[in-house]
Amino acid sequence: MRTSPMFMLFLGAAFTLGLAVIAAELWRLQVVDVADFKENQRKQHTRSILIPGMRGRILDRSGRVLADSRPSRVIICRPESFPRRGGVSNIAATVDAELDRLSAVLKLPRSKGLTHARIVRHLRESSALPIYAWRDLDDEALARFAERAEEFPGFDEAVRCERIYPFGSLAAHVVGYVGHDRPEHDADAPSAHYWEPELKGRSGLEARYDAYLAGATGERHVLVDARGFKPRYDGIENDEVPVRPPANGLDLTLTIDAPLQHALERQLRGVAGAGVVMDPRTGAVLAMASSPAFNPNEFIPVLTEEKYRSLADDPLHPLLNRAIAGTYAPGSTFKPITAIAALDAGADPDAPYDCRGAFSLGALRLHCWDRYGHGELALHRAIRESCNTYFCNLGRMVGTNAIVRTAREFGLGAKTGIDLGAEAPGVVPDAEWKLAHGGAPWYPGDTCQMAIGQGMLLVTPLQMAVACSALANGGAVFTPYLRARDAGLPPPKPVRRIHAQAQDIERVRIGMRAVAEEGTGKRVLFRYGENRERFRLNTTCAAKTGTAEVGVGEAKRKNAWVIAFAPYDKPTTAVALVVERGESGGLTAGPRVHAILASRFGEETP
Amino acid sequence: MKKLLRLDWVMLLAMIGLVAIGVVFIRSAGAARETAALHAAWRSHAYTAVFGLALYFTLAAIDYRKILEWAAWPCFVVAVVLLAAVLGMGDKVYGGRRWLWFFQPSEVAKLATIMVAAQLFGKADSRTDFKGFLVAMGILIVPTALILAEPDLGTALVLVPTVLTMLGAARVWLKGLATILLAALIAAGALLGAVAAAEHEPNRAQREAIFAKIPLRAHQVRRLRVFLNPDLDPNGSGWNLRQAKLSIGSGSIYGKGLGKGDQKLLGYLPPSVSMNDFIFAVVAEEAGFRGSIITLGLFLAMLLSALRVGAVCGDDRGSLLVAGIATLVFCHVYVNVAMSIGLMPITGLPLPFISAGKTFLVVLMAAFGLVQSVAIHRTVQPLDHQTI
Repeated sequence: MRTSPMFMLFLGAAFTLGLAVIAAELWRLQVVDVADFKENQRKQHTRSILIPGMRGRILDRSGRVLADSRPSRVIICRPESFPRRGGVSNIAATVDAELDRLSAVLKLPRSKGLTHARIVRHLRESSALPIYAWRDLDDEALARFAERAEEFPGFDEAVRCERIYPFGSLAAHVVGYVGHDRPEHDADAPSAHYWEPELKGRSGLEARYDAYLAGATGERHVLVDARGFKPRYDGIENDEVPVRPPANGLDLTLTIDAPLQHALERQLRGVAGAGVVMDPRTGAVLAMASSPAFNPNEFIPVLTEEKYRSLADDPLHPLLNRAIAGTYAPGSTFKPITAIAALDAGADPDAPYDCRGAFSLGALRLHCWDRYGHGELALHRAIRESCNTYFCNLGRMVGTNAIVRTAREFGLGAKTGIDLGAEAPGVVPDAEWKLAHGGAPWYPGDTCQMAIGQGMLLVTPLQMAVACSALANGGAVFTPYLRARDAGLPPPKPVRRIHAQAQDIERVRIGMRAVAEEGTGKRVLFRYGENRERFRLNTTCAAKTGTAEVGVGEAKRKNAWVIAFAPYDKPTTAVALVVERGESGGLTAGPRVHAILASRFGEETP
Repeated sequence: MKKLLRLDWVMLLAMIGLVAIGVVFIRSAGAARETAALHAAWRSHAYTAVFGLALYFTLAAIDYRKILEWAAWPCFVVAVVLLAAVLGMGDKVYGGRRWLWFFQPSEVAKLATIMVAAQLFGKADSRTDFKGFLVAMGILIVPTALILAEPDLGTALVLVPTVLTMLGAARVWLKGLATILLAALIAAGALLGAVAAAEHEPNRAQREAIFAKIPLRAHQVRRLRVFLNPDLDPNGSGWNLRQAKLSIGSGSIYGKGLGKGDQKLLGYLPPSVSMNDFIFAVVAEEAGFRGSIITLGLFLAMLLSALRVGAVCGDDRGSLLVAGIATLVFCHVYVNVAMSIGLMPITGLPLPFISAGKTFLVVLMAAFGLVQSVAIHRTVQPLDHQTI
């Protein structure tokens, strides 16, 4: 016999050794390092999903709801419910076909965005999440679905949060609108894999106070299989684990007064323009409108490319908030500022000046709007009649720097700092600015132009409202704001006071009262009936009109301005309004401001 | 019937235990599959085991010497013909032609080769010099070449050491055998060394060029790279290994419970391998370290009992047959489990008695029927008084 028992013993030892090595390695894997493996395995099959909280409402100063969150009933499609034969595009084809079948049952067309490619992308990137197949279903469609839900095992009814603006386009530029986006997430938290879309502010206050309105994002974990789907095998329990619940957002109360806002918007209907109503005692914005406007409800659930294009390509730019981002020459509404600059520089308000209908300065010839001239006048009448030649002369006398300094004191030429994005700073030009932007030196004519609010001077309606408030309250410049201050806080303090003496400001205020009572701004204080009967505001007020000429030749047009405040003694309301392509400040803007103030103070019966 | 009482009970019970583990875990692995037919795979494993058991007892009852004399060569010839046939007309599955209708000829070839080798070198007058070695190589090379052509590297890799072990037991050209063993070790080391060295080549194009020069198929080179560096491609060629290790490691001591292995349920351990080559991962995940050790223990009990039979049977042919069969099974167990835990490169080899696979199960049970035959028809008696 050649084979020996010793060889078998050797083989036995070798086999035992081999299996012992394996057993030792198994001990290391299954007993020593088990925690690491368990953790890695848990990480591998756990996906975290961010869930947004319910967005807070936006309320006007009296609690009227301007933006609300409402439940929207949707039909969702669970990708894991379909047979998983073949690749992703195969599953997507099944989903596609099921959507078509359900579409026929619901008698609703399929959502346009839900293309085959989109489904494939969803399955590739976030197959653990449901697909939103139909949104905003009415009772009838839901009943049709409920009747035959058993035939559609992959579909379910669900509720999700949608935005609604109950007053439609009211204060659209202020409130803004929302889109869907990834929820905000703490930077220090581990990154999440998926997210349920969150309503995210895209413009206006919805964007400015997004974090406040959005609340805290919650998180939950779902179990996913190797292909990223939620599992549907027996034996898997707890396939969803809430980690932390989302917290609802807070309600945002505004300083906006919805009825006044409505009155303001009514006066802008059909024209391009903007207006701001402010409380001159605090800087609170009571109304702010820009025309033409848009209806943010049309952006829900999504702002389609088509819709966005039509708004963006509109020559009147309805998405632009003219009240803060539209820059206009202020025209004669700037004259009170020129007057204060002059008085502060020591000019004599009673010094007479003879208006002959035009002002000549070298080759430049500036016409007064009264081509026959106002004759001999002083500051008071010059304000009342808005005499261009008087102010040209006055401006030339005090010089550019004084006017520029005062204009900037009033808040022109810089952003007001309102709690709303996309504000334009406007321009208060000086020699330096002109050199930088046109390369030409400053001419004495430029000073003249600026003195009457023309030339390179550009302001926003909001800036004029702030300046008007400062005139109204005797020289305090406030930062305008839209979010109501919390109860119990002291009233806001002005950011600065105008340098001029109180009596100088009062002199200009008196001039502005005369404008409203008997000057170019009569239509602010009075409404003229069909038989020339006058309806007076049930308050006292002061105003200044402006008719700014812009463009040359064919494109020449007039922007009609009015700034006004009321009541005269203790002003509670300051208005700035501009209407593009108007006739004149007094005729176009005057009656509109009258109506706005009338909505607040009423009219006396004649 | 009296003969049957002399069979080795430990070996039989260990085998039944392993088959039972197979049935239970094939059922568990199949439950996670979408195809209804796979839910029933455990049943066919059980039915096959019943058939295998009948074959087992039949073969055990017949004197293995007669079986070897009458059947070794015919079996071998048939196996070679079937291997050739599978190359021509087999069904292509996962890139290899291994299937002829419902069975895999390469599994039959393993046992046939062992039987022929035992028959050839177990006789008193068989040559043990270099010429004898050449004859053995001639026999080995035919099925090995055909199996490699399928391609089925794993089966070839266990067949070669099995035959070499038998030659060692038969003391055929021992010096040469030792040299070959050494050369094989050096070659394997060199291969791994070459892959490891190439991995350090920073230039990607040059690296690929070196890999292309290694005399292995592209997927085999990838498996070697993954073996050396398990994190190389966790979502591609490294996926199975990574997931098998996660399954096994997360099983902890007592396991997750039968049917509750989430690696398997969630499809991370790919369903295509969970009841075949990677079934050990399912066992270890659901039955834990305890289950893995019981499984390995049953294998060891079975192998040691078989070797004891080989040691005491007092007949060269019997010893060689046992040595061959035991080595074959050990190689399968070792390679299969070692690759699941990253101790060896991935090679597609089933776990004996446990992996789903009807041909292999029947062949294994037939093989151990032969071992039982050796136990029953041993020349030295009684077995119990014999010490090894």
